[in-house]
Amino acid sequence: MTSPQSLRGSSHVPHLLIIEDNPGDVDLILDALRQTGRAHTFTTVHDGLTAIEVLQQGADGGFTPDFVLLDLNIPKMDGREVLKVIKGDPQLSHIPVTVLTSSRADRDVEEAYKLHANCFMTKPTDVRELFEMFDRFTEFWFDTATVTFRASSDQAID
Amino acid sequence: MSARTEERAASPDDANDITRAFLNILEDFAEERDRLGATEKAVLNILEDFGEEKRRSEDTQKAALNILDDFAGEKALLEATQKAMINILDDFDAEKGKVEITNTDLRREVEDRTTAERALTAKSAALASSNAELEQFAYVASHDLQEPLRMVSSYMQLLSDRYSGSIDAQATKYIAYALDGAMRMQALIAGLLEYSRVGRQGDLETIDAGDAMRLALRNLRQAIDESAAVITHDPLPTVVGNSQLLSQVFQNLVSNAIKFRTPASAPRVHLGAIETDEGWQFSVADNGIGIDPRFRDRVFVIFQRLHTRDEYGGTGIGLAVCKRVIERFGGRMWIEAVSERGSCFYFTIPRHH
Repeated sequence: MTSPQSLRGSSHVPHLLIIEDNPGDVDLILDALRQTGRAHTFTTVHDGLTAIEVLQQGADGGFTPDFVLLDLNIPKMDGREVLKVIKGDPQLSHIPVTVLTSSRADRDVEEAYKLHANCFMTKPTDVRELFEMFDRFTEFWFDTATVTFRASSDQAID
Repeated sequence: MSARTEERAASPDDANDITRAFLNILEDFAEERDRLGATEKAVLNILEDFGEEKRRSEDTQKAALNILDDFAGEKALLEATQKAMINILDDFDAEKGKVEITNTDLRREVEDRTTAERALTAKSAALASSNAELEQFAYVASHDLQEPLRMVSSYMQLLSDRYSGSIDAQATKYIAYALDGAMRMQALIAGLLEYSRVGRQGDLETIDAGDAMRLALRNLRQAIDESAAVITHDPLPTVVGNSQLLSQVFQNLVSNAIKFRTPASAPRVHLGAIETDEGWQFSVADNGIGIDPRFRDRVFVIFQRLHTRDEYGGTGIGLAVCKRVIERFGGRMWIEAVSERGSCFYFTIPRHH
């Protein structure tokens, strides 16, 4: 049985879970999201354990975010572990996870995709690039992507 | 004879008996004589036979003597053989001694080699672990240094973008300095990451050095066009290496040749390749400003720069990366003096790695 988790359309305002411990980065991300001019709501958490709690409690209550923005280098539970839990949990695995990190290292990119990340973005040093990046990101994920999000019961993980 | 005596006793007529007896005796005598003759004949025969026996015996004796003679010969032969064998055994002992010496030598050599191999293995392990540590350090540095740096540059940018109206020219200049510093730091970190990547990136395989060069020149097209550089090259061989890394070596060297040109003339760069005993020796020669001989080794050290940023930009990563790549291929890299102005970089790639 399928039950739509989020109805894609003009009436739906996407909700993001931002998992990021550095306040400076949180402000930058929120700033960048505002700059896109696209409607959205968000929750921010500052460590991996809280992120998993928020996600699982949300799923039990019938609500999951439309997107997760995940920093890899976070306290209590590493971003990679968080990614593993999300993609291994039938109630959560359908949520697109974007890994957002300062790392440009190949091994981090490869590892993230191996753990079923849906997108990998390196935070640019140039703040204008960051704004542009979020504009492209929301353009695709909020406006263009026509993925139908479905309940976890149908979501098989390879 | 006893049977005949009994017959006689049984005869009735004595006269006749005597005559008969006499006759009998004569008869007997004749018989005896015959017998004797036969005996004599037999004796003679025997004697004759004996002579023959004697002859035979003599023959036998002779044969025995012959045999003994032969035996003596055999004995001599045997003795000679024995002697020969003893000699052989002696020789064998001597050989054995020699073999033992050789064995000792071999054993010592094997021991020496084992010791050398063990030392080499230990050194390789130490080198590998130091390489791994360097990579880990570079990774952590480039990863963890990046984050605070990004905070500096991002918020400096926001300050300058959003508050330009409310700050004076002096403050704007300070912000620009801070931003410039952050950007340079960023470039250094990127370079460090690139340098650390050389150690783990790409497998070694048989590659066409010409392909690597063409890729490098394609990437440098803009710089080549803008500087009107003339690039020439020898036919380039196939070598054992990694195409992407070798291309980077060519790119860094040609890029340097163009960058460090003299204002007077357009850059000329020649890429050479000659076959040597160890493999191939490549050269990249230019007509640029050259390198002071005192600094010829220092240019390969990471972050080492010979010029101020105002003269020539750069992070001091390029040649360090080149050297690391060539060393990873098992080769060497150096600079040699050239007669005219300019510099010439050499590197080797061995046939077997």
